[in-house]
Amino acid sequence: MSNVKSIKSQKKFSSSIINKKSIPYLLLLPAFIYYAVFWLAPVLAGMVEVFTDTNGNFTLTENFKLMFQSELFDKAVMNTALFAAVSVVLQYFIALLLAVLLSRKFRGAKLLMFIAMIPMAITPTAVAILWKTGLIKDGWLNSILMSLHLIKEPIVFLNAEGLAAVFLIILIDTWTVTPSVMIILTAGLQGIQKEFREAAYTFGANKWQIFKDITLPILKPSIVTSVILRLIAAIQVWAIAVMVLGFSKVPFLVERIAFYVDVVPGVATSEKIAFTLSFTTTIIVLLATVIYLKVANKKPSKGGNR
Amino acid sequence: MDKLNIVQKTVVSIILATMVIIVVVPILFFLTVAFSNDVEMTQFPKRIFPSFSVTVKVAPAENGEYELFYDKGDGEGYRSIITTKNATKLENHFKRQYGVNISGEKLLEDFSATRENGPMEFTYRKDLLFNFKQFFAIVNNSSKALKNSIIVALYTILISLSIGSLAGYAMARYNFKFKETINVGMLIVRMFPVVGISIPMAVLLIKFGLFDTLIGLAILYSIPNIALTAWITSSIFIGINKELEEASYIFGGNGFNTFMRITLPLAFPALAASSMYAFLAAWNDTISALILTNENQTLALVVYKAIGTTSSGIQYAAAGSVILILPALVFTFIVRKYVNQMWGGVEL
Repeated sequence: MSNVKSIKSQKKFSSSIINKKSIPYLLLLPAFIYYAVFWLAPVLAGMVEVFTDTNGNFTLTENFKLMFQSELFDKAVMNTALFAAVSVVLQYFIALLLAVLLSRKFRGAKLLMFIAMIPMAITPTAVAILWKTGLIKDGWLNSILMSLHLIKEPIVFLNAEGLAAVFLIILIDTWTVTPSVMIILTAGLQGIQKEFREAAYTFGANKWQIFKDITLPILKPSIVTSVILRLIAAIQVWAIAVMVLGFSKVPFLVERIAFYVDVVPGVATSEKIAFTLSFTTTIIVLLATVIYLKVANKKPSKGGNR
Repeated sequence: MDKLNIVQKTVVSIILATMVIIVVVPILFFLTVAFSNDVEMTQFPKRIFPSFSVTVKVAPAENGEYELFYDKGDGEGYRSIITTKNATKLENHFKRQYGVNISGEKLLEDFSATRENGPMEFTYRKDLLFNFKQFFAIVNNSSKALKNSIIVALYTILISLSIGSLAGYAMARYNFKFKETINVGMLIVRMFPVVGISIPMAVLLIKFGLFDTLIGLAILYSIPNIALTAWITSSIFIGINKELEEASYIFGGNGFNTFMRITLPLAFPALAASSMYAFLAAWNDTISALILTNENQTLALVVYKAIGTTSSGIQYAAAGSVILILPALVFTFIVRKYVNQMWGGVEL
């Protein structure tokens, strides 16, 4: 009796093996359909918009001309590049420093990690308001600086313009992101076996050499991935800039998109500009990712003989 | 080599303490703002911890009126604020300026003691939720937006989980042609900037009649999240012992049974983590909601709109932000194991 049953179930088992070839495709089908309809179609439709004028005729450059001539576009590009580059470098420099310090065991490490996670966990719009309450003239930042006697008169942070404004946004972003980057790097460092460092130490390597030749290479994968993610996010900065300083104060690429959607909607040309801007931003993000991956992958083959 | 001398130890401690202070102090000040009443908002310097009560000095005046004094904390001491005997006026004053909910009659009754004793101090408890109530009362659409945000997040979870986990299971369990291509494709979808898709998506959703609907928004949020869910679940499915499933087959379970009884419970942590991610993506977004909605705004968008360009009433926006932060914070901490991987531990 039990024999019969087991044969039966084995038949079932083998029949499911025969079907196996089509199973993965069936399982992936919903995702395929979803992406064809809701991802590929809009991406293509977006491209069509970029390469047609307001009357629907094909044009290769018309919308790009509109974009280039649009208000503050050149500044937006400059600011975005500056913001992405400076904030990522600054954040990784500080985070790496902290991570190396933290890689030793000490009391309260868990609590520290817990606290470090908070800024990144806060919704971006809330981060913007958090800092706005600090940066207004009678805000808490001036309160701190005054009570520490670092300044005599309250600073009007929100009047910042040009480079100063970009750096203000960079500082806010650094506050938000650096602790999390530190957590990632610390996690990566803790994966490094102590034996590696001890071996290097016995063979006469100094601390800097150990850092350069052991710590950094092992950390590289987590640095590479997290930098890409940061870069992608940094290129898309906008909410903090708009909420803290207002539209057009510190133009960024995505801030411009929001500007055309939020402030001057409904006009045919502003729609075209928004489409072209979002297309351009996407291309920049993809390019930045590809270039970064190329550069990041080259380094070891240049340096090592492995 | 790992032993630190006392100087190094001190330096390390100071650096760490500085980091904690830099992270925590702005948050404390911000929370205090969210619980501050109108007069506290005009105070400078700002307090780091919120106050829970309001103290006023009251002196009897002519014609049965009372003169109210308040210390703004700016070093000038108590100064006269209003003189009145009107209960409604007093009630409104206490509500608007101090965030104290108390009836005007009760105030007048309290103050009448000053007729005999002369000027007295009165301390009243602040309504700590005052700014939160104000946020929902003053800011357009805010209570609807809170509901919308939750619904959109639930839709996003539903869509990403149902489609993504199937894909994740396929990626983990089967070998097939184009597996690598699909993997790369999923990564591209995940990395694709959300603004790049939002604007063309608006056109598509208008065609489908889904523009300015919650489901339309959820469809957009699901795009990166389906791929993300597939990635998270596949890494878990790989870890689930295939032998367990095979054992289930041998004992007579069919495919569906096995999936429901063995695979799904084991994969539950991954599904939970994926849903929290989907929640966070929907909850935290502003730009797509700005592009894809008019009436059906989400909470993040409403908070964004509430701030405007002026800084008056910023405590209400701050209260709104606190509501926005709480679930985001809780969920991020629950999924923190995955967060670390997400933010940098991902193998490319």
